[in-house]
Amino acid sequence: MSDHIIEVKDLSVEFRTDEGTVKAVKNVSFSLPRGKTVGLVGESGSGKSVSSLAIMKLIPNPPGEITSGQILFDGKDLVKASDTEMRKVRGNRISMIFQEPMTSLNPVFTVGDQICETLMLHQSLDKTAATKKAIELLDQVGIPNPTERVKSYPHEMSGGQRQRVMIAMAIACEPEILIADEPTTALDVTIQKQILDLLADLQKKYNMSVLFITHDLGVIADIADEVIVMYRGDIVETGTCEQIFTHAKHPYTKGLLACRPSLESNPERLPMVSDFMDEAGNEKSHSLDLDKVHKYVRPIDEQKNPVILQIKGVKKHFPMQKGLFGNVKTWLKAVDDVTLNVRRGRTLGLVGESGCGKTTLGRTILRLIEPTGGQIIYDGNDITTYDRSKMRAMRRKMQIIFQDPYASLNPRMTVGAAIMEPMVIHNLGNGKAERIEMAGDLMDRVGLSRTMLNRYPHEFSGGQRQRICIARALAVKPEFIICDESVSALDVSIQAQILNLLLDLQEEFDLTYIFISHDLAVVKFISDEVAVMYNGKVVEMNDAVGIYENPQHDYTKKLLSAIPKGIPKTLMPAST
Amino acid sequence: MAKFIIRRTLYMIPILLGIALITFLLFNMAGGDPAAQAAGKYATAERIEEIRTELGLDGPLYVQFGRHVQQMLTFDFGRSWATKQTISSMITSGIDASMSLTVPTLIITQIITIALALFIAFFRGTLFDKTSLIVCLALLSFSSLVYILYGQFSLAFNAGLFPISGWDPSWVGRWQYLILPILIGVMLSLGGSVLFYRTVFIDQLHQDYVRTARSKGLSDNVIMYKHILRNALIPIITVVVAQMPFVIVGSLLIEAFFQIPGLGGMTYQAINNADFPVIKAMTMIGAILYLVFQLVADILYAVVDPRVQVR
Amino acid sequence: MKATTMNAVNVASNPQLEQGRSLWYDAYLRIKKDKVAVISFFTICFYLVLTLLSSLGVIFDNYGVVDNSLTYLPPSWDHWFGTDLFGRDVLARAVHGTKTSLVVGFAGTGIAMAIGTVLGACSGYFGGKVDDLIVWFYTTIDTIPYILLVVAFSFVLGPSLLTLCLAIGLTAWVRHCRIVRAEYIKHRDLDYVQGAAALGASHARRIFLHILPNVFHLVLINFSLGFVGAVKSEVILSFLGLGVEPGTPSWGVMINDAKQELFRGVWWNLAAATLFMFFLVLAFNLFTDALRDALDPKLKNK
Repeated sequence: MSDHIIEVKDLSVEFRTDEGTVKAVKNVSFSLPRGKTVGLVGESGSGKSVSSLAIMKLIPNPPGEITSGQILFDGKDLVKASDTEMRKVRGNRISMIFQEPMTSLNPVFTVGDQICETLMLHQSLDKTAATKKAIELLDQVGIPNPTERVKSYPHEMSGGQRQRVMIAMAIACEPEILIADEPTTALDVTIQKQILDLLADLQKKYNMSVLFITHDLGVIADIADEVIVMYRGDIVETGTCEQIFTHAKHPYTKGLLACRPSLESNPERLPMVSDFMDEAGNEKSHSLDLDKVHKYVRPIDEQKNPVILQIKGVKKHFPMQKGLFGNVKTWLKAVDDVTLNVRRGRTLGLVGESGCGKTTLGRTILRLIEPTGGQIIYDGNDITTYDRSKMRAMRRKMQIIFQDPYASLNPRMTVGAAIMEPMVIHNLGNGKAERIEMAGDLMDRVGLSRTMLNRYPHEFSGGQRQRICIARALAVKPEFIICDESVSALDVSIQAQILNLLLDLQEEFDLTYIFISHDLAVVKFISDEVAVMYNGKVVEMNDAVGIYENPQHDYTKKLLSAIPKGIPKTLMPAST
Repeated sequence: MAKFIIRRTLYMIPILLGIALITFLLFNMAGGDPAAQAAGKYATAERIEEIRTELGLDGPLYVQFGRHVQQMLTFDFGRSWATKQTISSMITSGIDASMSLTVPTLIITQIITIALALFIAFFRGTLFDKTSLIVCLALLSFSSLVYILYGQFSLAFNAGLFPISGWDPSWVGRWQYLILPILIGVMLSLGGSVLFYRTVFIDQLHQDYVRTARSKGLSDNVIMYKHILRNALIPIITVVVAQMPFVIVGSLLIEAFFQIPGLGGMTYQAINNADFPVIKAMTMIGAILYLVFQLVADILYAVVDPRVQVR
Repeated sequence: MKATTMNAVNVASNPQLEQGRSLWYDAYLRIKKDKVAVISFFTICFYLVLTLLSSLGVIFDNYGVVDNSLTYLPPSWDHWFGTDLFGRDVLARAVHGTKTSLVVGFAGTGIAMAIGTVLGACSGYFGGKVDDLIVWFYTTIDTIPYILLVVAFSFVLGPSLLTLCLAIGLTAWVRHCRIVRAEYIKHRDLDYVQGAAALGASHARRIFLHILPNVFHLVLINFSLGFVGAVKSEVILSFLGLGVEPGTPSWGVMINDAKQELFRGVWWNLAAATLFMFFLVLAFNLFTDALRDALDPKLKNK
């Protein structure tokens, strides 16, 4: 018996699209040792998910197809296995959990039924026995009150609980292998920690082999014994977790590790993958001093940094439940009495988990959503009292950059038209020629070519689109910009570029930012002050270094402790 | 649940008012002088005046509208101009003929089209799927009249397989007259229905839960017949419930051609004779039935889909 | 992952702009590759040319020539589809009937699209009271059985080609309106519209310049669907005696005449009208299907 339960040899997967054949995975070989956790890490489009789906033979065909290679499972080639044979393997000996806990369960069956289905199929249990087992499983994955919850429908559970149900379903038949495809990406950081701990426990208990797919190196460090790094369909590096984190060989791995903002360091600018590797994938010499930590706290200069924006007791309540005649019975207090000050030329980080009200607050400040109460004082004037035309003039000074670069540009407008639109609205620039010139300058400034002005958003990558959004926001020469999760949808390597760009622009144009994010490391890197939001309220506010070194509120402490450390277990300073 | 039904019923009031308003505008006001039409071309002025009183068209507008609403709520639509019978008695006598045509048609159509659509969705993307798609679109490209005319002509008149038209009021006797109309009724909605369900099923096949089901080792059959069909119940209910008013008021074209004495045939006669009270009655009944069945649909949604909140 | 290529390329010296590829152009390329769609499109064009030439009297100007000695002649070299009761050439009648169908299809559906788009856009975008009112209005219309509503309109307006267009146009907008409303509700909260609002764009600008181009493909698809519905409605209304003015050539009238003629063995009137209608409607059906595939942004972003 080999030490490796799965051996993948020369695997290639291709997808046929309108634009031609795309090689998603190119001649990849790797193996999965028994009883260990292997982390498969890579950015979007690296082929990591496709590789894992290939093991289960779940690649949608058409358009996808395994074009060559072997997948040896206990010596048997799964690529050649028939559909009937595969069905006996799936869910029984190899099982899988997915990224989207909200949609991965069938909404019209109870979670109990869905767990029982697996048990009845592979272990030939009857309904009563299966239900009994399902309750035990739910208990094991930490669902409180399992005898009741077994009758719940997926929509009655939170995202974290649904992922637990998925895990219960996956381990029901005590499989030899568990494939986890980004299982915590859609979850909040505190829930992520619980799920990771649960997976680690179960792995030990059942001595499973786990293939853990993620884009997040921090998570990998916490959970994996071995690491495989994928880049554009190739494996660029494999090694033990320790080797990868301390002695990475491939420039891509080095860049990926370096460009991640972390809680431990305070660099002035983030290193970028392009500092380590050129376009062809060759190593580049760089002059970055990676070990040097810049303790970087910008002092407040009352002259240069006066308070420009005061948020006083701002509230936003949404009606939740309506009575028979449309009278509101209960309210959702999305933003509940928030008071904050923002200084010119500085960045206020606004951090919190999903549903804490940070995005609503951001949009309320710009009056994209009308506040229920409170004052928003910009430059001494309460803008909540402004009428429509005054507010429109005001919008020149205040801008916003959104999260999803795919949704924030009008797909039917050229990027040039998008950047020039604010100029047209606010009458900036003299005629079309000058506006084109100005738009071109902005494109140059955000690192894109001005020859691309006539292109459409879908012809750009996610990171490029975010640059265009920044250019559009800059078109009105604003003083104040709200960045609403502006880097959350981007790969880490792109994220580093955008964060650096935002800092450069702040210096150049003396911009004031409110930076909204769920990612504490990113917020720490970019902000001067940080406010922590929880249930619609700001629970704690401090400067960016202080809040991490000396958290006061329980919630802040909980948040901080939940963040993956990004240091392999074996390298952790002697834990008790 | 009771509260939910009450609220949905209250919601029907403004719609009922809307229906009353539109039918009033169309039939009582814009359609010329109903009394003059009812009296015929050669009536004297006095006769028209008499009919006007008879029809309740002499009061001021709001009185007329009030009477109109009252008719709608009490289902008392007065008498037909053509047959002079009360409309309510005409409706009660026609309803069973209509339903013995429409109920089997609906059931057979749904079973056949759902089965076919599942089968086609299973082979999505293949040549078979593409061919089926074109065949369905081709079926949709004939006028309903052509199906009826040609079916009646070739199968009944030429081949003599069925009687050309006619009716037997006894429950046993009527079936020989019903087979061909039902067959044609199924053909009429075959193409559209199969296309619709195919889209529904393929939509479901792309959902994440299907991937989960496959990763559990379930066979394609179990996924299709258990997971997907159950999730597709909502669009199926929508389609079936939208058909229900026509199940009751019958099929205008088929009943007219095969001389089935149902409500559809009655409506056809009324249109031919410009028999306004009957058309108006059928319009309002159709609308009210539609509303009622929407309520039924909402209740059924809550039954089959646990996500629907009944508050 | 072209991240690394983005380090500012200085092209100020070369102000030549690259040509972008719009989503419409993408869709056009996709349709061009689809053989069925191209054939359907040219079929529709063929009908348009036929209508134009026959209306100008260039071809088949004999459609109104009555000769009672030629009643019900079966198909022959002189009359490919035979003659009708009045001895008129059936093929010529069918060709001229195209015009009626096209007018009803284009005008009726055009009216429906205009009403549906504007009401749906306002309803979905503004929400609140405006939405309540419009939803109430179309729910009411939708509740009334479609064919009876059209019948009522026709009675009120009296039978004519214009009546047909109005009756269809004023009743067929509901489905489209509902779809457009749903799209506007979805789009008004998307970041690109919120972004436009943050830039100070007015409501009108957001409704017409930003959202409309993004839902316009639905107008095209629904127009194509509605066209088919209108052509079919014309046939049914003719059967109910509410079609075009007597004497005007129309497929509906021809099919309707067949209900007596068939039993006397005269099948060619029905055959001609059915074939003419079948190819036009099939072309529209296939083209709609291709249009949907080509314009659906869901497939695009995969």
